[in-house]
Amino acid sequence: MASVRLRGIRKHYGDNPVIKGVDLDIEDGQFVVFVGPSGCGKSTLLRMIAGLEDISAGTLELGGVVSNAVAPSRRGIAMVFQSYALYPHMSVYENMGFALKLAKVPKAEIRERVTHAAAILQIEHLLDRKPKALSGGQRQRVAIGRAIVRKPEVFLFDEPLSNLDAALRAQTRVELARLHRELGATMIYVTHDQVEAMTLGQRIVVFNAGRIEQAGTPLELYQRPANLFVAGFLGSPRMNFLKATLVSGEGGLAVVRLAGGATVGVAANGAHARTGAGVTLGVRPEHLRIAGPDGGGIAGRLALVEYLGDVTLAYVQVEGADGMVAVKCHGKAGLPALGSRVSLGFEAGAGYLFDEDGAALPAA
Amino acid sequence: MSARTGIAWSAAGAVAAILLAALWAFPLLWALSTSLRPELETVSNQFHWLPRHWTVDAYTRTLGAGNVVRWLVNSFVVALGVTVLTMAISLMAAYAFSQLRFRGRGLLFGVAMLGFLLPFEALLVPLFRTMNQLGLINSYAGIILPQVVSPVVIYVFKQFFDAIPADFREAAVIDGAGPLRVLWSVYLPVSGNIVWAMAIVTFIAAWNNFLWPFIIVTSNDMMTIPLGLTQTYDAFGVRYAQLMAAALLGAFPVALAYVAFQRRVTQGFLAASGLKG
Repeated sequence: MASVRLRGIRKHYGDNPVIKGVDLDIEDGQFVVFVGPSGCGKSTLLRMIAGLEDISAGTLELGGVVSNAVAPSRRGIAMVFQSYALYPHMSVYENMGFALKLAKVPKAEIRERVTHAAAILQIEHLLDRKPKALSGGQRQRVAIGRAIVRKPEVFLFDEPLSNLDAALRAQTRVELARLHRELGATMIYVTHDQVEAMTLGQRIVVFNAGRIEQAGTPLELYQRPANLFVAGFLGSPRMNFLKATLVSGEGGLAVVRLAGGATVGVAANGAHARTGAGVTLGVRPEHLRIAGPDGGGIAGRLALVEYLGDVTLAYVQVEGADGMVAVKCHGKAGLPALGSRVSLGFEAGAGYLFDEDGAALPAA
Repeated sequence: MSARTGIAWSAAGAVAAILLAALWAFPLLWALSTSLRPELETVSNQFHWLPRHWTVDAYTRTLGAGNVVRWLVNSFVVALGVTVLTMAISLMAAYAFSQLRFRGRGLLFGVAMLGFLLPFEALLVPLFRTMNQLGLINSYAGIILPQVVSPVVIYVFKQFFDAIPADFREAAVIDGAGPLRVLWSVYLPVSGNIVWAMAIVTFIAAWNNFLWPFIIVTSNDMMTIPLGLTQTYDAFGVRYAQLMAAALLGAFPVALAYVAFQRRVTQGFLAASGLKG
């Protein structure tokens, strides 16, 4: 297996910059997920690692070897495409063995490697079929099998689950995680689906507008987002944001005044922002409690309730909030009637503060 | 529309189709009928749809006299050569224009497409001079080479390749395939029907080409069948039965090729037009 090291990687099409300087280290055997909104450059970066796009500037090292100018087939990588890209005129066996045939691997070894990969993916019974005779899930397995037979140093996945239905996506996520454990290979996985990112990635890299916003473990990113973008991108429903003013920031407890006049305390180091500065308060839906109008805290009006079975989402109109404030509740008991005045509260340690530039104030 | 009106329209359509088919088939059937008569009967004052005395004399004389077998072989070699080379050149050019990124690609494609604007007749003199300088007069190469660049075929293939998802090429590149291998192992099989369609059309056009062989060939032994037919006329005088026999013998291989590959040609044109076959 191999490590991947990116230094100052840039990509531009004419005068249009797409990747604006990426530095990243991916360790041997790590499962890293590139996540971000459409057009953020994550797939372009993956294609640059694969060798399908030229690198405008910077250095790409695969296994310690500078690989900017190395042909894709010699980089020790295998890629699973969003469309699977199975050759329609070849059988599953031929699809999986094509790379080995080109590399002039003996037929007996091709057979051995293809059948081994097919056994791992439980697709032995499909080897004689053409891609058109396969379901979406089966095609996806064949595409992964085609990657496995090459024994690559690095697996690259470009949104491989996006063409599957929700149930199959969940099942395939589990299988990909198992595959990573079994193969121990370095894997880079691109998705815009934060659930895939959180469940699959040992490490997540959040991209926005051609730059890395933050890289870290899923829990690090979820619990300690570096900025407003990451805080808002990870989590469903996303983190609630309320405009506020910093009142004081001493003793590890920053006190902020919300647009509605309420003051709340957040366990953040307010010394990093001046008193009176505009800040943004962030609270995740699962950390908010909903109470009657006399409960103190943030006042609002209950606007909408969604019952999802295991949880209930209550949406509250709050002055100064960026959209409606979502509250995740367990069960529907205790929720007031729609249109009622309510108050929202949270533990000081569950709140986040972001300065005027969107950067998170460090936790106390 | 009532059932009765529907039947009436169907019947009218069938009658129209039969009439049109008869109109198309009439010259061919008349040629066949003429070729199966004695020469004397072909110039008779009395009109008969069918021969009064059936005979294959015209065919035996045509094959025995003149150089028809040789001309048929020449036509086959030339048509096959033109077809194979045209397909090879057009596929590679179209793949390059469609899938490869290189400086001047658009300009080169534009220049290639300018061939649309130049009638072949305008190129006769420079092509003849070039072939003459290369010493290729009265040779297969001299007949074949000027016919192997076809902007139309390049354009059709490029349009078809443009519609093939780039993921196939990229997957093949990662698998270790170079451009020629990608073309041969991925794009060509995926484009099978349109390649067959273009190959048949090219083969027929090359087989029937009269003008260029007429310019470049002076030797009777190097003539193709359309050119040879004029010699038959000269050699035999106005011998309609033999002339028709020679014409039918010349057309037979092409018709056979078309019938054999008709399904592929139809599917190819449907694929090229974007309709489902």
